[in-house]
Amino acid sequence: MAAASMPAKFEVYRFDPSKDQVPRYDTFTLDLPPHTPVLTALLKIRTENDPSLTLRYSCRSAICGSCAMLINSKSRLACQTQIGPEIAAHGKIVIEPMRSQPVVRDLVVDQKPFWDRYRRIEPHLKLDAREPMPVGKENPMTPEQVERFKETPRCIACGACYSACPAVEADPAFPGPMALAKLYRFVVDPRDKAQKDRLVRIQPDGLWLCLRCHLCTEACPKDVRPSERIRDLKEMAIAAGGLSENGSRHAHAFKENIGEAGVLNEMKLVRQTYGPMDLLKSVPQGIKLARKKPEILKRPHPIEGIDEVKAIYKALDPEAEGK
Amino acid sequence: MKLAYYPGCVAQESGKELDMATRWVCRHLGIELVDFPKFSCCGSGFIDEANSVLNVALNARNLALAEGAGLDLMTVCSTCQGMLTLANRRLEEPAVKTKVDSVLAPLGIHYRGTTKVTHMLGILTEKIGADALKSRVVRPLTGLKVGAFYGCHLLRPQAEMRSESAEEPHSFEDLIAAIGATPVLYRGRVMCCGFPVLFVKEPTANRIAARQIDDAKAHGADAMATPCPLCHISLDSFQNKAAHEAGHALDMPVFHLPQLVGLALGASAEELGLPRHMVSTDAALAKVAQVAVPT
Repeated sequence: MAAASMPAKFEVYRFDPSKDQVPRYDTFTLDLPPHTPVLTALLKIRTENDPSLTLRYSCRSAICGSCAMLINSKSRLACQTQIGPEIAAHGKIVIEPMRSQPVVRDLVVDQKPFWDRYRRIEPHLKLDAREPMPVGKENPMTPEQVERFKETPRCIACGACYSACPAVEADPAFPGPMALAKLYRFVVDPRDKAQKDRLVRIQPDGLWLCLRCHLCTEACPKDVRPSERIRDLKEMAIAAGGLSENGSRHAHAFKENIGEAGVLNEMKLVRQTYGPMDLLKSVPQGIKLARKKPEILKRPHPIEGIDEVKAIYKALDPEAEGK
Repeated sequence: MKLAYYPGCVAQESGKELDMATRWVCRHLGIELVDFPKFSCCGSGFIDEANSVLNVALNARNLALAEGAGLDLMTVCSTCQGMLTLANRRLEEPAVKTKVDSVLAPLGIHYRGTTKVTHMLGILTEKIGADALKSRVVRPLTGLKVGAFYGCHLLRPQAEMRSESAEEPHSFEDLIAAIGATPVLYRGRVMCCGFPVLFVKEPTANRIAARQIDDAKAHGADAMATPCPLCHISLDSFQNKAAHEAGHALDMPVFHLPQLVGLALGASAEELGLPRHMVSTDAALAKVAQVAVPT
């Protein structure tokens, strides 16, 4: 038996940059069963109400990654999102194009910025000329090697993570979650021989701009979990690339800092992170803060049981062994 | 109610006002907070990036301290909440558990994995409850429009945090309504404050903070409130820099969660450490000042 229909109100972003000064929202109300995918509803609107509604889609099965858009502000695949829960939570469904990419028309965005950033990670295997791929034979991997890819091979490059990412929005230098999840995929590939080089080169204006807000992980329709793989890349990058960046120095210094007293020494952390220029630049703000919050100038007392903390470091942190 | 109190580093240092407000509110509501001078830093997400197993082991030690005392643990920081919870989750993986146990056992530390970690937001909304809290309000914050700012690690990754909706939560707004203020809904409430890159690329961090403050303002907020002292650093301590990056004034008072609750329960600005903020909270206080607090 078919589920009962419900009235579903859609507010759909409309914009043709060649004609319109500003975008507008068109309202459509349809009677549909709650399990209807948003994409099906939009295609119905296009067929029955307005043939000029422009959107990108293909497979309707969450495989091609074409129909990512904002559904009530969340970056989602339209084919994978049912209308029922959205109506229940919001009373309506607001449809907008993905963020951080220029609108071509209505719900179609120009994905050039997304693909340009993807190119930065050089998404192809880099082989060692001395170890050519076997010709006419498979290149087998062990189950353990396959396991290291985690969920990254599932990525369908839909761009939902890119649209959800506040670092992408704020800084054109950041490669974005999808590119970095793909980078992870090459870094752990046993056939790739450029791991160290990749980990060193992605650090300036790259890896360390990830905010670990995990919005990409929530947006991903394939559960690729980009933020968690970026975390893994950071740990590998510190091991591979030294401490040339504020980001790697900060994470490393934080670890060192806590190993000394068990609690944070805020002022010392700033000194440990910054090079001389950045340190100098931070002084005026530091003075302003210290007037209201004099504690930042004080060195905190070590916690009780700091010896336990030091013993944990000694056992698990290779750098602490000699201390 | 008796809880192990995990203040985190910032509330003991530059964000001391958060600790002051937390203790005031808990005293007032009959929540007994037990201090543990042996607690270490949660790692703030940075130690996790530098050495993930070390991060789990340090937090397992913290969790074991509360477990040993038979207490559940209360955090007042979204990031501490996230890191301690993450440790509980990672310890569910046998390989991690074995490794961490082998390091802690020689120290006489045996964590059985039973410590429940709850942010003060959850204690107030779930354990105390909106109705009970409402009955204690002596200065309803009527007319004050407040934009809740959750802080990422309280909510995400949802699979690990097992939180309410990671993109559309409501508990903080429920709390704001319970103390008489009007919650403001805006996209930025679940976004990042910029703090994680404040020491990586400051202008980027400032731009992200400015964006969320502007968003709250555009939706009518008189003030913002956060359960995370790191968000407070980004939104309040560095708001002058955010305004500079945005190219316009922001003038947004930002409260720590227990400060807002304390105000409604009758605490003075001084008791809540409000004068320690970089951005004055006076304009927000003026909005609720007409209600006299019975002495």
